[in-house]
Amino acid sequence: MSHDDFHGRLEDDRMVTGSGTYSLDWDFPQAAHAWFLRADRAHAQIVSIDASAALAHPGVIAVLTGEDLQAAGFKSLPVLTIPTRPDAMKPLLPFRPCLATGKVRMAGEAVVCVIAETQQIAMDATELVSVEYKELPPVVDALDALKPGAPQVHADVPGNLYWDYDDGDQAGTDALFAKAATIVKHDLYNHRVIGNPMEPRCCISEYDAAKEQYFLYSPTQGPRIQAAMVAKVLGVPTDKVDVVAKDTGGGFGIRSAVYPEYCVTLLASKKLGRPVCWNGSRSESFLTDNQARDFICHGELALDDKGKFLSMRFYMVANNGAYLAPTGLLSQTRSVTSCITGVYDVPVAHARIKLVATNTAQVAAYRGAGRPIMSTMLECLVERAAIDLDMDPVEIRRNNLIRKDQFPYAMTNGTTYDCGDFEAVLDDALAAADWKGFEQRRAESAKRGKLRGRALSTYIESTAAGGIPDEAQLRFEADGTLSLFASSHSHGQGHETSFAQVVSRVLGLPMKTIKLRTGEAGMRVGGGGTGGSRSMVSFGSSFFLGAQEVVKKGKELAAKELEAAPADITFDHGEFSIAGTDRRISLQNLIQKHQGTHPHPLDSSSANKYGMTYPNGAHIAEVEIDPETGVTDIISYIAVDDIGNVITHALVEGQMQGGLTQGAGQIFGEHAIYDRESGQLLTGSFMDYPMPRAVLVEGLQIIDHPVPTALNPLGAKGVGEAGCTGALPTLSNAILDALRPVGVKHFDMPATPQRVWQAIQEAKAGRPSAMLSYTLEYA
Amino acid sequence: MYAFKYAKAKSVADAATSIAADPDAKLLAGGQSLIAAMKLRLSQPSALVDLGNIADLRYTRIEGDTLVVGAMSTHAFVAACADVRKAIPALAALAGDIGDRQVRNMGTIGGSIATNDPAADYPAGCVGLGATIITTKRKIAADDFFGSMYETALEPGEIITAVSFPIPKRAAYIKFKNQASRFALVGVFVAETPAGVRVAVTGAGPGVFRVAEMEKALSAKFAPESVANIKVPADNLNADLHAQADYRAHLVTVMAKRAVAKASE
Repeated sequence: MSHDDFHGRLEDDRMVTGSGTYSLDWDFPQAAHAWFLRADRAHAQIVSIDASAALAHPGVIAVLTGEDLQAAGFKSLPVLTIPTRPDAMKPLLPFRPCLATGKVRMAGEAVVCVIAETQQIAMDATELVSVEYKELPPVVDALDALKPGAPQVHADVPGNLYWDYDDGDQAGTDALFAKAATIVKHDLYNHRVIGNPMEPRCCISEYDAAKEQYFLYSPTQGPRIQAAMVAKVLGVPTDKVDVVAKDTGGGFGIRSAVYPEYCVTLLASKKLGRPVCWNGSRSESFLTDNQARDFICHGELALDDKGKFLSMRFYMVANNGAYLAPTGLLSQTRSVTSCITGVYDVPVAHARIKLVATNTAQVAAYRGAGRPIMSTMLECLVERAAIDLDMDPVEIRRNNLIRKDQFPYAMTNGTTYDCGDFEAVLDDALAAADWKGFEQRRAESAKRGKLRGRALSTYIESTAAGGIPDEAQLRFEADGTLSLFASSHSHGQGHETSFAQVVSRVLGLPMKTIKLRTGEAGMRVGGGGTGGSRSMVSFGSSFFLGAQEVVKKGKELAAKELEAAPADITFDHGEFSIAGTDRRISLQNLIQKHQGTHPHPLDSSSANKYGMTYPNGAHIAEVEIDPETGVTDIISYIAVDDIGNVITHALVEGQMQGGLTQGAGQIFGEHAIYDRESGQLLTGSFMDYPMPRAVLVEGLQIIDHPVPTALNPLGAKGVGEAGCTGALPTLSNAILDALRPVGVKHFDMPATPQRVWQAIQEAKAGRPSAMLSYTLEYA
Repeated sequence: MYAFKYAKAKSVADAATSIAADPDAKLLAGGQSLIAAMKLRLSQPSALVDLGNIADLRYTRIEGDTLVVGAMSTHAFVAACADVRKAIPALAALAGDIGDRQVRNMGTIGGSIATNDPAADYPAGCVGLGATIITTKRKIAADDFFGSMYETALEPGEIITAVSFPIPKRAAYIKFKNQASRFALVGVFVAETPAGVRVAVTGAGPGVFRVAEMEKALSAKFAPESVANIKVPADNLNADLHAQADYRAHLVTVMAKRAVAKASE
């Protein structure tokens, strides 16, 4: 495919001139305003709620509590379940209310909703609500929560264990470990982070009594999926809910979910007969958005006496928080283990993951959704093996890669990789990074008093196609434009450009006449949303097939116009012609001949399921540490990625930059910290929670190494999260490489200046593993 | 934010009258700390008396061997001012690295020192240069002006009108930024002034403080190695999520060394 049709994104004019339409930009002057009283403590019984003073406050319209929601028949906020083996433990799914009833389980949990004429009045009145609590001791650490006698978060989750998840072949793995010449073990903590999209969580809710229809204007990644989740809570058919959105200010997975406030305000709108607006604050997003990671990880690698990997096994403890978010099971289990042994030729492996309830915010899908947990564990374990066994970090990897001739490659955990060329990707990265010139660069850094480190890491991840058929509709409008409909909503990716490009390349129509429409009221298209790096793979493919359907219909119309048989018509560069003649008619001409008819004879659609794809790559980072301050800089970062066929390199590069930056953000500072005594979130604002800045990721080099997949007609693999999945292990290993010469053996992220400096001081004092947060035993 | 009354003062005298009439009223300078606290409902003044319209509080001028900066001069204004850049380039650089562009275009020197945030930059500049704070009632030496966090020598109703800085022989300010807030985790202002060498530290403790041992060593020899082995005790330093006290103590030495090197350039 040619790439010369990219001239910037179609959505950019709107975005950079401040004329986007975000959730609260929809105009509802008659809306009432909601504000939520939130739990000021992490764990307590609710003894009583007295809202009389709030109700008496001038301008207050209504107050809703958990009891009102129960009376309205509200169901639990939903959890997407995943298939389990018949013999395995089933996950426990405690009720998750939209407003706390009986008990609060995390600081920030919504308890009461006050609705007033203005936001200011609602906020004032919220302070007049008095809640009597009976304090309970909180537990915020996952290992603490598993201890006997720990505070119980849910009565129906004994021992705070939501799920004891098991994947792979334990007996086969144990047999291979028994034969091992060496077993290498490694522990690490993949710490908790908060997504922080630019647009805080918010909504406008409207109920149309005449149509008995709910309309939710909120940030979203997939309007129809979100509508289905809202409908579950309300106890109505999905068709009775419309999620409406034009622009969404970032999502990263956490805006794919349904949240309590959406459902409460929809009920309020129904009760009051007017729209209800909730202008959620940044503080509320910090406290109660789905959070991410928080995995205590232990991995073991069995090797033979030649350094060949025999098997791997993992034991992990995931802090899932006070409730299960919609993706709280999937992202913490199968998403972690699907690529259980990475790019390595190790078909037999085993993993056990305990999902634990604590008095913290719910943890769920966030860029990479589980895959960065495994990529980090795996590549830090392999790096540990190279160090412990004094093997070359390139050769230990190269000697164990799945070879090109081994595809399709099936593992005992049910995953089959369809294609790849891992060694070629590795070699590209080594060449681009001048791997052999490192020692000279390290010496040069040392002259300036700096510690230089470098690391190579590989990654592979599954991108989440499959599930339900993803539908693309193409409709030729009366104004001559072509509308594309899908439920894959952009939250920054550039769908308007990339889907238009796919269609434009098939039909030869100008990009500017093709309009993507994803979040409109009344729109009914099937399929998932944006998430799991699936949009181009699945919706892109459906648009590609849908556009081909237009060509097929066009051939029949052209055949009539040209008085020929459809089989004799060819289509090229937007024109139909009779093969071997100069008789032709353009698609544009055919569109115009029928312009204004509904349905237009060329209208088409396509709905298909596509197989999981496995983007992979080799990343090499060089970092430099100022040992005097602990400040660490990324000097260079080479990412060579096989994401299959590249539709538009600029958009791929944008996704990779975003993913790498998000990974770097976690590695260098982002960290959600809860106070172990009080259960309060200590990093609840940008004063305490550092976001990555542009200077952190200067000098990224992103190189495509496409190995097309046959699993979808575009030959594309997902790219949205690959950068993050690759960046966490690569940067972790590079930082440890820089610190090893001064005696550091273990270093858990984040690499804040304080922690890096402390690691150096601890190593000097003979404590090389002082910065290791947890250790586990495989069992 | 809670509801509050708002008035624009026409003059310093007008502001003094308004503030005297209402004990719960607050002066509004650039508002870069106060407004943020009010938005979070952490501060609830009954009224704001805005000094923003008083044009004659925004100036810089050289008076003999001092530089005088009007209290309502914004950080951006001070950073760009030719007089400041020539007379005390370290002060211009300090002002030019406060917060971000938005903060620098709103925040003022008077507001900053009246707030006395323990991690603010100007307190280090004032103490480091041996400045004098000029108010509606008196002149206060910087050494006597700053108390512990958010405390100053200002009396109720007293308004800062200007700050007078002796022009030093050489000076520099180096700060180590908090990764999240970009406030000074530790900032060290070093100056060789007509009255001697001064070393002022912000961010590390509950308020700005001087390091006598460093001042003595630098008086003997103004060179980075003079302070390289001088440690401040960690006992009274701040400890939080971002930095333990021992790390802050260590950074005081490192930043002091780097400031001396920069001042010596």
